[in-house]
Amino acid sequence: MSLPENAIEVHDLVKVYRPRSGAPVTALDGLNVNVRRGEIFGLLGRNGAGKTTLLRILTTLMPPTSGSVTVLGRDIEREGLEIRRNMCVVLQENAVELFLSVEDNLSTYARFHAIPPDQIRGRADRVTERFGLSEYRRQKVIDLSGGLKRRVQVAKVFMVEKPLVFLDEPTTGMDPINKRATLDAIREQALAGGTIFLTTHILEEAEELCDTIAIVDKGKLLALGDLPTIKSLIPSALDISITFELLTDEILADLRRLPFLTFSRKRNTIDACIRSDDLSLFQTLARLAQSQRVLHFEVRSATLEDVFLELLSGPPSPDRPDRGRIS
Amino acid sequence: MTMILAVMYREYRIRTTSMTWLFYDLFMPLTYLLLFGIGLDRAFDTGLSVGETTVRYNAFFLSGVITMACFGIAINTSYGFFVDRDNGIFFEFLTYPMTRSEFLIGKILFNCVLSLLQALLTVLLGVLLLSIPLLWNRLPLVLAGVVAGTAGWFFFLTTFALRIRRNDMFNTFINVAYFVLMFASSLFYPTEQLPAWLRAVAAFNPMTWQTDFLRFATIGSGNGGVVFAEAAAFLIFLLISFGAAVRTLHRGILR
Repeated sequence: MSLPENAIEVHDLVKVYRPRSGAPVTALDGLNVNVRRGEIFGLLGRNGAGKTTLLRILTTLMPPTSGSVTVLGRDIEREGLEIRRNMCVVLQENAVELFLSVEDNLSTYARFHAIPPDQIRGRADRVTERFGLSEYRRQKVIDLSGGLKRRVQVAKVFMVEKPLVFLDEPTTGMDPINKRATLDAIREQALAGGTIFLTTHILEEAEELCDTIAIVDKGKLLALGDLPTIKSLIPSALDISITFELLTDEILADLRRLPFLTFSRKRNTIDACIRSDDLSLFQTLARLAQSQRVLHFEVRSATLEDVFLELLSGPPSPDRPDRGRIS
Repeated sequence: MTMILAVMYREYRIRTTSMTWLFYDLFMPLTYLLLFGIGLDRAFDTGLSVGETTVRYNAFFLSGVITMACFGIAINTSYGFFVDRDNGIFFEFLTYPMTRSEFLIGKILFNCVLSLLQALLTVLLGVLLLSIPLLWNRLPLVLAGVVAGTAGWFFFLTTFALRIRRNDMFNTFINVAYFVLMFASSLFYPTEQLPAWLRAVAAFNPMTWQTDFLRFATIGSGNGGVVFAEAAAFLIFLLISFGAAVRTLHRGILR
C-alpha cells in the first residue's frame, strides 16, 4: 500500500453525543488536524477536551457526526478494515487478557495481527526483554501489579510493525525505568518510519518526544505546531526559581503584587512564571536582595506545561481563536 | 479465515485456563439429565404421552437438556462481553484488523465446537446410562440442531449484552428470558397438554422450535412437516439475530 504524505487528515470534524436524557454534548467542534507521515504527534488537552473521542474516531471505534477523516489515505467510515490492517492501538484502559499469561497475551495479539506462528516466539523474547517482562513470562496477568499490566499492554504493540500507532497515555502507572524504555521504543518506531499518534497528560513526555503538538479544549483546536511554535504562543514567558535565606511575609507580599503567570511557594523558595518583557520582577528582586540574602536564583525558558496552562486558563472564544500552525 | 482462527485460538486459550469452567461446559447437561431427568422419569413411571405415542421422560427430556446446554453456552459466551469490557480489552479487539462479523463468527465457531462435544457426551452417556432409545441414523440432525441452536442463542443474547451497559441488568434480563423461554416451551413437557394461551406462547418460542427439532432427531417424536417448519423458523431467527448483533457491533457501542 502506498502511503500519502499525511498519515491522518481531519477536516471540520464534529462529534455530538446524544444521551438518552439531557442535552446533546458536542465533544468535537469543527476540528481540523493533519498528521504528517513519520512524525510523533502529541495530542494534549485537559480531561473532557475531546482527545479520547478523536482517538476513538481515528481508530474506527466510533463514527463522526460530520466532517471528513482519512487515515493513511483511507476514509474512516468506508474503509475501516483497511485502516485497521495498518495500525495498532494502545487504549487508555488496561486492555489485557487477565486470565492469560504474559506470553499468551503477546502471542494472541501477534496472531490477531497475522504474524506467522514461527516468528511469534522470537518476537516475544525480544519484547519481554525490552520491557523487563522476562521473569513474568509465564505468570497470569491477573496476578501482576497495575504497572506491569500496563507494560504488557504497551509491549503488545511492539510485537508487530505497523505504519501507524495510536498510544493513549501509554506510560501511565509505569516506573521511571520502564517509562524510559517505552519512550525509547516509541522513538525507534518513529525513526523506522512509523507515525505515532500520542495522547498524554505528562507534558514533559510530549515535550521530549513529539515533533508536532496539538492542544485541544472543548472540542476545538487551541494550538498546533512544533515545540518552538507552541512555546512562541506565549513569547516572552520565563520560568524563575528564587530561594531566599528566609522568606518573610513582607517579601512574600511584595512578590505577590507582581504579575506572575503562575506562582508557587515551597518553604523559602518561590517558583513562578513571568513574561520576560516585564522587568518589574528584577527591579523588585534587586531591592529585596538588599534586605534578605538570595541563596539561589535560576531563570529558564518557559516549558510546555507553562504554555499549556496559559492557553487553557480561559475558555476559547471568538476573540481567542485557534493559534499556531494550522496545516 | 486467519482472523476467525485467531479469535478461536483466543477463546481456546482462555477456556483452557480454567478446568472448572471447562468441566461445567462439558458435563452440565449430563448432570441435569442424571439428576433432574431421573427424578421425573420415576415420577412419570408409566411414561409421557406425546402425540400418539408414549415415551420415557428421560428420552423426552434429552432434547430439552441439549437445548438448555446450547442456551447455557450462549449465555457464558455473551457474558464474556461484560468480562472483556471490564478488562478493557473489548474495545481493543474492535481495533484489530478484522471485520465485526469475523469477530462474532470466530467466537461462535469455538463455542459450537464446545457445544458439539457437550451434546455428543450427553447423548452417548444418556444412551449408556439411561438406555435412551436414540435414533443413531439421525445423529447428524442432532449435531446440526446443536450448531444452529448455539449460534442462534449466542447472536440473540450478544445483541443485548452489547446494548445493556450494566452487568446486573444483563443478569436480570438473562434470568427473566431464561425463565420465560424455558417454561413457555416444549423443553420440560409436551405443549399439547398446556392451556391454550400458554400453548400459543410456546408455538412462537424459538426454544420450542429447537427442542422439537432435537426431539424429532433424537427419538423421532413429532410431525416431520411441523418440525421442519419450526427448524426453518429457527434459522430465520438465527439470521435476524446475527444481523442485529453485527449491526450493534458496528454502531452505537460507544455511545
